[in-house]
Amino acid sequence: MSIAGWKRRATPTLLFSFGFSAVAVLFLLMMLVLFLWQSIPVWRHEGFGYLFGKQWFYRGQQFGALPMIYGTVVVAALALVMAALVGIGTAIFIAEFLPSRARLIVKIMVELLSGIPSVVYGLLGVLFLRNWVYAALAHFDPLSGDTLLTAALLLAVMILPTIMTLTDDALRGVPSAQRTAARGLGLTHTETILSVTLPQAAPGVLSAVLLGLGRALGETIAVFLVVGRQDNQWPSNLLSLRPLIESGQTLTSKLGGSETHIAYGDPLHWAAIVGLGLILLALTVAVTMTGIRLGTRKASDA
Amino acid sequence: MRKWKNNVFVAVTGACALLSCGVLLLIVGAIFFRGLPAISWNFFTEQIRLVGAAGGIFYNLVGTLILISTALVVCTPVALGVGLLCGVYGRHSRWRERFMVLLHLLNGVPSILFGILGLIVFVKFFGWGKSWLSGGILLGAMILPTVTIALIERIESLPAKYLEAAAGLGLNTSQIIWSVIVPQSLNGLITGSLLGLARAAGETAPIMFTATIFAGATLPHGIKESPVLSLPYHIFVLAQDSFDPSVGEKLWGTALVMVGMVVLLSLIALPMRLRIHEEAYHP
Repeated sequence: MSIAGWKRRATPTLLFSFGFSAVAVLFLLMMLVLFLWQSIPVWRHEGFGYLFGKQWFYRGQQFGALPMIYGTVVVAALALVMAALVGIGTAIFIAEFLPSRARLIVKIMVELLSGIPSVVYGLLGVLFLRNWVYAALAHFDPLSGDTLLTAALLLAVMILPTIMTLTDDALRGVPSAQRTAARGLGLTHTETILSVTLPQAAPGVLSAVLLGLGRALGETIAVFLVVGRQDNQWPSNLLSLRPLIESGQTLTSKLGGSETHIAYGDPLHWAAIVGLGLILLALTVAVTMTGIRLGTRKASDA
Repeated sequence: MRKWKNNVFVAVTGACALLSCGVLLLIVGAIFFRGLPAISWNFFTEQIRLVGAAGGIFYNLVGTLILISTALVVCTPVALGVGLLCGVYGRHSRWRERFMVLLHLLNGVPSILFGILGLIVFVKFFGWGKSWLSGGILLGAMILPTVTIALIERIESLPAKYLEAAAGLGLNTSQIIWSVIVPQSLNGLITGSLLGLARAAGETAPIMFTATIFAGATLPHGIKESPVLSLPYHIFVLAQDSFDPSVGEKLWGTALVMVGMVVLLSLIALPMRLRIHEEAYHP
């Protein structure tokens, strides 16, 4: 804003602006401090064993978060792989092959759908997906349709619009002169996309995937309804696929469960619950910061 | 050979597109056709009866409206404050960057953590119990990034000549802000709020420990111990144990009403939605 004499005097407007900005900062700080402070007892009690312990029995005062971390990571990773493959494929198709009017229609549809609340996805998961997964896996004899795989499938559908629409934005951001030039060199459509468009859009595509990951890590309600919420599910063999078709527990499904209510009276148990929140916060902050780093690097390259 | 490879690639990406659109259409179709039989005038004006098997969702609708309007009231002044700081006062300073990072961090915080925070602060420390106000404040904090980023985007795209003309008239900074910048960027604030409210209306995790119960609440009186009913929590509770077919019909009806509400809100804000993605980082 290039206005001469733009002085910062402490007018009421300036105080209003700075005051409410301080409120926003304080809110985030308060969240961080509260999660750190309230989880102190469990770090004292378990040490780093809290992160690596495989047993969670609150009556025996044993708190190990590893099975929940495992559940969160497996469900999010699986969902991300499925959603990224399909989402990026779709984005390439609508950005590169569809005429712009058809593209706009698909885009509007996707934008509207990305607002469907997670509890509705949860409902669809409970009433349809769970039974389909159970029927499809009948050969492997699962205990129920509530499995890590079910949660991952549901999450994949939920983050699909996000990945699709942001990848499409990234692809459309590549100047069309570059496409024309590549086509003029005699490259086919496919070769143009793979060797010109996609590499240039790569940072944007990657940040789309990271945003999908952030959502997948933090999603509570839909996962809660279909993951089975079985404690202490640490697989004996990390490479086996069997745990995927068994019930499990994620950080979010644990936090959303009834144990959060029970825990408040007992400082240690409550600290263990808040500690799960702290781990989740750390994970999502790491993902968000990575996305921001990517974004800034892209800007400084240009 | 190259031609053949090209065709395979088009076919594969086309199949992806068909799959995604198919899945999304299936979802919308399922909600629409299952939910439609439940929709009638009485569904909107009656209370729930028989644990959700009969009656309507009047107080759930009212509760959700109370929650999202509180969120709007809480969020607007903060969004305006941060928006003016980033878009006007600190436009060329490092503070703008820092606040953008802060907003993106806040946007990335999982919604359940707002719920846990509210449980610690409002329910226990303040001793409010379950209260509509804590739900409203938490939802307001949750939608702050969406509203603020939309507002900043609008402020920064104002033509420089507006401000130069205002400064040329001898207005000082505060006068320029209230008579030019704020009125001119109001539609950014409004569409940002609509997008935010569309998200807030469907959130369950922040309010389930702090603000909402399944049955037995009407209009809140006061702040302490005054929960409301809400649409998302209604679905959440019934989805966990709905074997009664008549519950099922009401359940789908509630889902349809909620999806309709969200789609309506985002439809009004669609042009903005297509232009910016509050989740994406634009330095």
